Amino acid sequence: MIKEKTAGLARYTVRDWVYVAVFGALWGAAELTLGSYLHVLFPPLADTFVIGLIMAGLGSILLLVGRCFVPRAGAVLMMGIITAVLKAFSLGGIVIGPIVAILAESLLIEIALLLTRQPVRWHFALAGSLAVSWNFFHKFIMMRLLFGKGIEAVYLKMIQDGSRVLHLDVRYSLLILLILFLVRVAVGALCGWLAWDLGSAVQRRLAPAAAPEE
Amino acid sequence: MRSWPGPGSHLIFLMWVLCLTAILPAGQMLPLLITVLLFGLLNGGRGLSPLRRARFWIMILSIIAISPWILGQADEAWGPWRLSRQGLFMGLEMALRAICLLLAFSVSVRSLSPGEMVRLFEGVGLKGLGFALGVALNLLTTLGATIEAAYHTIRLRGGHRRPWLALKLLLITTIANALRYGDDVVKAASARGFDPGVQHPQPPLFRRADGVFALSLVAVAGVLLLHPW
Repeated sequence: MIKEKTAGLARYTVRDWVYVAVFGALWGAAELTLGSYLHVLFPPLADTFVIGLIMAGLGSILLLVGRCFVPRAGAVLMMGIITAVLKAFSLGGIVIGPIVAILAESLLIEIALLLTRQPVRWHFALAGSLAVSWNFFHKFIMMRLLFGKGIEAVYLKMIQDGSRVLHLDVRYSLLILLILFLVRVAVGALCGWLAWDLGSAVQRRLAPAAAPEE
Repeated sequence: MRSWPGPGSHLIFLMWVLCLTAILPAGQMLPLLITVLLFGLLNGGRGLSPLRRARFWIMILSIIAISPWILGQADEAWGPWRLSRQGLFMGLEMALRAICLLLAFSVSVRSLSPGEMVRLFEGVGLKGLGFALGVALNLLTTLGATIEAAYHTIRLRGGHRRPWLALKLLLITTIANALRYGDDVVKAASARGFDPGVQHPQPPLFRRADGVFALSLVAVAGVLLLHPW
């Protein structure tokens, strides 16, 4: 479906940059509306699972569909940078965490897709898995960065939440963490898989009115 | 041209605070916070707006409130609860560190205007990214209207009966319409002969005043690290 174009940023056409802006703005709009709303509903210390999973999943879908339309190296990272800047201008009070997550997820998708010249569906699934699995490590890293010593609190909170959701005793802490990580990997793979279909569907929708190449 | 502090100083300041929060012991966080507040005030107080938001304080106070329960060994009885004094102090340290970082981010990056951000990207050689950011900023309001129109169309056609299909249709319609809008932007840019790769004369990102500011920050870091507070 997608043929990788060999070029750095210097070879980007006006259309490439505009499409990068479109997908960056789409994810940015989702972060500014849905993301902010979810963060108010679930304050940062109380939730270690839901918001990140939803926003990372949606973000990876948008970035991967964007990659269908801008098949150039670096495009996904550029989309992520635009989303991060839009998020920085948002009215919400605390945006440093989401900005780090946005940049990390776009970088992980970029790295996953750099390894292949012509992505196929399972590359998208792999890229989605990598991006969403960042959500697992994000809380630890942000806690270390923001609060210094809070890492054990996050670990305990994650195990307690996981124990409640999975109906497992807290003694099986490693199993709980493994399951929580694998859930993210699976959700990410599903998002990548869906993004492949969604990209094709959007291309079919636009096909009759497709503009000539720049 | 904007006077000091410019984008360069803001970036230097953010990096400085990030480094210091990583290496400073907990006791030295208060002087760092005062420095961040002073920089914010020097900057016209624009970046200190989080201090006026309830959400900011709810987050900070929740850290302090939760810490005695989940950190450290419980050594104090407070009614039916067993609390940790060590956990409370750890919570206070964590809250102080969080305030430092959040305010540093706010007074540096968030106080830059979109135009300054575009200039920042162009200053580091990412010419097209500055253009793309401008397009994205202008696109946000259009996207809101596009998503709303698509949502109501799908809802009126009975989309709520099949939510997953409705969600898929909403995504396809929104992305397709955003790309169509993007094509119009491309046509407008091409008609004006716009080329994102063309060099435009830009004032330098880092000026002499930024260098002096960086040196003074190094001196302050030395005082914070070596002075027995």
